[in-house]
Amino acid sequence: MFKWTFKSLFSQKATLFASSFGVASAFILVIFFSSVWQGEAEQIIAYPNKMEPDIWVMQKGVENLHMSMSFVWDWKAKLIEDMPEVKRVTPILYLNSVIVAKEKKLFGFVVGLLDKDDRAGPWELTQGRGIEGENEIVVPDVFRELASLELGDTIQLADRSFNIVAFSKGTYSSANPVFFVRLIDLEKLLSSFGTFSYLLVDSNEGVDNDRLVEKIKQKVSKVNALTHQAFVANDFALAKQMGVEIIFTMTLICSILAVLIIAYSSFALVSVQTGEIAILKALGVRSPLVFMSVIIQSLFMTMLAFLVASLFSLWVLPLIPELVPQITVRPTTSLLVSVGAIAFIVAALGAIFPAYKVLSIDPALVYKN
Amino acid sequence: MKPVVLKAENLTKNFGSGHTAVRAVDAVNIEVNAGEIVLVMGPSGSGKTTFLSMLGGLLQPTEGVVSLDDIIISDLHESKLPPIRASKIGFIFQAFNLLDALTVEENILLPSTLTSSSKKESNERASWLIDSLGLSHRRKALPKTLSGGEKQRVAIARALINEPKLILADEPTGNLDSQSGLEVVMTLHDIARDTGVGVLIVTHDPRVEDVADRILWLEDGRLSKRNEEAHIWVQDPVCGMKVDKLTARYSSSYHNQKIDFCSERCKQRFDSQPNSYLAGVI
Repeated sequence: MFKWTFKSLFSQKATLFASSFGVASAFILVIFFSSVWQGEAEQIIAYPNKMEPDIWVMQKGVENLHMSMSFVWDWKAKLIEDMPEVKRVTPILYLNSVIVAKEKKLFGFVVGLLDKDDRAGPWELTQGRGIEGENEIVVPDVFRELASLELGDTIQLADRSFNIVAFSKGTYSSANPVFFVRLIDLEKLLSSFGTFSYLLVDSNEGVDNDRLVEKIKQKVSKVNALTHQAFVANDFALAKQMGVEIIFTMTLICSILAVLIIAYSSFALVSVQTGEIAILKALGVRSPLVFMSVIIQSLFMTMLAFLVASLFSLWVLPLIPELVPQITVRPTTSLLVSVGAIAFIVAALGAIFPAYKVLSIDPALVYKN
Repeated sequence: MKPVVLKAENLTKNFGSGHTAVRAVDAVNIEVNAGEIVLVMGPSGSGKTTFLSMLGGLLQPTEGVVSLDDIIISDLHESKLPPIRASKIGFIFQAFNLLDALTVEENILLPSTLTSSSKKESNERASWLIDSLGLSHRRKALPKTLSGGEKQRVAIARALINEPKLILADEPTGNLDSQSGLEVVMTLHDIARDTGVGVLIVTHDPRVEDVADRILWLEDGRLSKRNEEAHIWVQDPVCGMKVDKLTARYSSSYHNQKIDFCSERCKQRFDSQPNSYLAGVI
């Protein structure tokens, strides 16, 4: 029966490949959208991840960076810096704003850095130099491509113009591209002085950061403090949450589509094989064994689809940022495992109805020519 | 006395109910002994397929009993029948019914995978059957590349792989040319004689009569013994068709002469205007 199961499946090449291709398309969509969202979610937290202080300090009530507003008096940074456990405190000023460059508008996040900052700025420049003077700005490299920018070009931030002195790598996501300016320029823009948005706290070696977090919250009024891990986790959870419903809906729709394709293909296969199934039953093959053959055929078609989808995705996905630099894709092993599990369920569900049809095939059909 | 391999008593099958009920097989009794070739002939629609289906455990009878090798199969639930079919019955079909995706060898071996026989034994037996039936050069061929005669020989080999007690053959020569049909007939004859398998053949092919031990006639669901003598053919004076005088069911008397007809319709026409058909009276 094992031989018949696979040989008869492969003898229906058109059905096999058409259905596998259809299901693979559905899986590719799931993998693509999930990978894009995973990539975008990771890119959203790229900045805090790269900064990686031991502790983040922010206004009380605030727990993350993305889409948040936070203001901390500058003297609180000194308070924290004076703590014996603390090695260094690096403040940043942080603002959401629309950036306009050559009539191209982009919503972005602007980080204001202290002069001669070597801690909280861009981690890799593709062109140019660091910020040295007034009204200078470092722009994400991808935005350079999107707006056809060059070093020395001017971009608009609120009512102020900034000159581009460098392009940075790894600071762009479609949800939160990060720009860098001097902190003092941002203070002037906000007309707000003496405040920071976030404090990046580096502790001394051997310090228990959880205890330091509690100490900061106790000793410094109206601030929240979180370890880097907790802070990034919050940001990542928020980023994922923004897309989880979309991804869930897309996955559900694509999975239903895959089930329908497999069900139709399995049904078509059973219909084509009705005569042979009747022969098998007449010869003495038990119905459950024929039932299992149909399930195995469905499983094979679906797993083939999954394999095609995985290979295609792993081949094509890395090419997408080359073609569309503003999209970040990150296919992960856990994503593929999840899609594999979905594939298994799809195969089982898709085969149920055709498999029951098998049970109803009358072996006496063998006598009808 | 050779053992009885197949026995059916009062075998009946009704389809439908009420005024639309049809009695396809009507209280049929039959026995097939080991090594015997029994031929069942009859016109189309006489119930042969229904009869054969019940004997092979593919259809439950409405009444009656079918026992195969002393096992009453008509009482068994459908789930219990497949292993009996696999081990005790070999099926041969008019349309050959080979599995298209499997090779000759794989088709022959398939029933052996449904029994407890060892792979080695099955392979040896398959090889012997393939050689015996002249299929050695076609062992790895697919059915679509075989001639009709070759296909039927593969079907015969498949039917014999598990050394069944009974072969049920439905029109085994129906789709074959005369030479191939003759070969199949002779093969079935040799099988019965050499292996002691009981063979029941349903066919219209008169050549099979020559090898049959008994010839039975099934018509309108009822089974009767065919006369051992040759046919006596006469001509229906109304439509001109040949009618076997020995089995004709419709007849009239005209001038003290018995006139046979193929159907009730022809008889009525003749009776209403005999003079119109006088020229056709033999």
